[in-house]
Amino acid sequence: MILTLLIPIYQTWHEDNVWQKMVAVSSISSKVSIITLVISVLRDDWMMGVVGVIIITVGNAGLMLLAHLLKKIGENDSTQLIINN
Amino acid sequence: MINFLTYFCLISGLIFWLWGTPVLFQKRSILYKLHSLSVADTLGSILIVVGLSLKIPSELPLLILAIISLTIWNTMLGYVLAYSANNQEEKSDG
Amino acid sequence: MDDLYIYLIVALLPLSSLMLMIEVNPYHALVIRGILGAVAVLAYVVLGAADVALTEALMGTMLAVSLYIIAIRSSLVMRLGIIKSLPTQTDDFTTLVTNVKKAINDVYLRLEVVAYDSQEALEKALEEKEIHGICSTYNCADDQNFKYEVTLRIERIYQLLKPNKRRSFSPLNTLAVRAIIFTLDSLVDSIFLIILMP
Repeated sequence: MILTLLIPIYQTWHEDNVWQKMVAVSSISSKVSIITLVISVLRDDWMMGVVGVIIITVGNAGLMLLAHLLKKIGENDSTQLIINN
Repeated sequence: MINFLTYFCLISGLIFWLWGTPVLFQKRSILYKLHSLSVADTLGSILIVVGLSLKIPSELPLLILAIISLTIWNTMLGYVLAYSANNQEEKSDG
Repeated sequence: MDDLYIYLIVALLPLSSLMLMIEVNPYHALVIRGILGAVAVLAYVVLGAADVALTEALMGTMLAVSLYIIAIRSSLVMRLGIIKSLPTQTDDFTTLVTNVKKAINDVYLRLEVVAYDSQEALEKALEEKEIHGICSTYNCADDQNFKYEVTLRIERIYQLLKPNKRRSFSPLNTLAVRAIIFTLDSLVDSIFLIILMP
């Protein structure tokens, strides 16, 4: 499991395109939450399981927000003309 | 029997992960990578969580919640990423 | 040996933070900050601090990343002031803007062109450090061809824009560049002037 987590980490380090990095990060975030769930079940710890479920939701939501903001910035990358009155 | 099912689910989930993640290394388009990653990640994760819930039924509601949020959020995130990346690539092409 | 996986997961934390430190592009660094947040959450959970992990998930992956991206977007920008009457549709101006963008892209700056009503407003904006430079037409006696000049108030941007042997392209490569540096006490400390001759 940790090996499968290492693959996208290496990939983000290697990759130049920001979107390829985003794909790898989304993979990392879901893998991290599943590993959290597995550990919580192994230790029979309810609290950790709740944290795992929350970081599935929060991590994905944060990534969506980041993707949207990056897209907005990329759109405005072409020079805009600001009229100042 | 239950034990066997548990390990079967866990190992097949891990195989899904291991099959989908090395696609990142290939020089393919981002949509292809996104497709195989989301298939492998979502299916593999769901299989792992099902295996876990068979192992410890006392955490069943939590694990069901995990499966639901995993499905919904991964699908939405995949859609958002594909939409934004596609927009961007069209712009840089044109 | 039973808790080997704990050491393995905790070892991911310095690895990802090292990746974050050696990244030079600020936007890519933000994405790697997302990885660092996720790995940190995993490490805290493994070490048994579920509350810290929850805080890290909320703060690190959502709040910090969104705040930083807004900060980067508003600070990494070069503002170039022009007068409204400046002819912006000519080929020379397009070449100028493209080349300036290419040159400042090395340090991940964006270019914003700001239009002002009058010459006074433009100079006042430069004096009050609202904009980093002025692009204006250079009066040429012989014909009606426009020549553009860029006046900058920051030496670092001038260093980026002036012809550079290290780069494969000259930032203003299709246009011969003559650079004059002079100081004016009334305006700002020093003014860097690049005159572009088509």
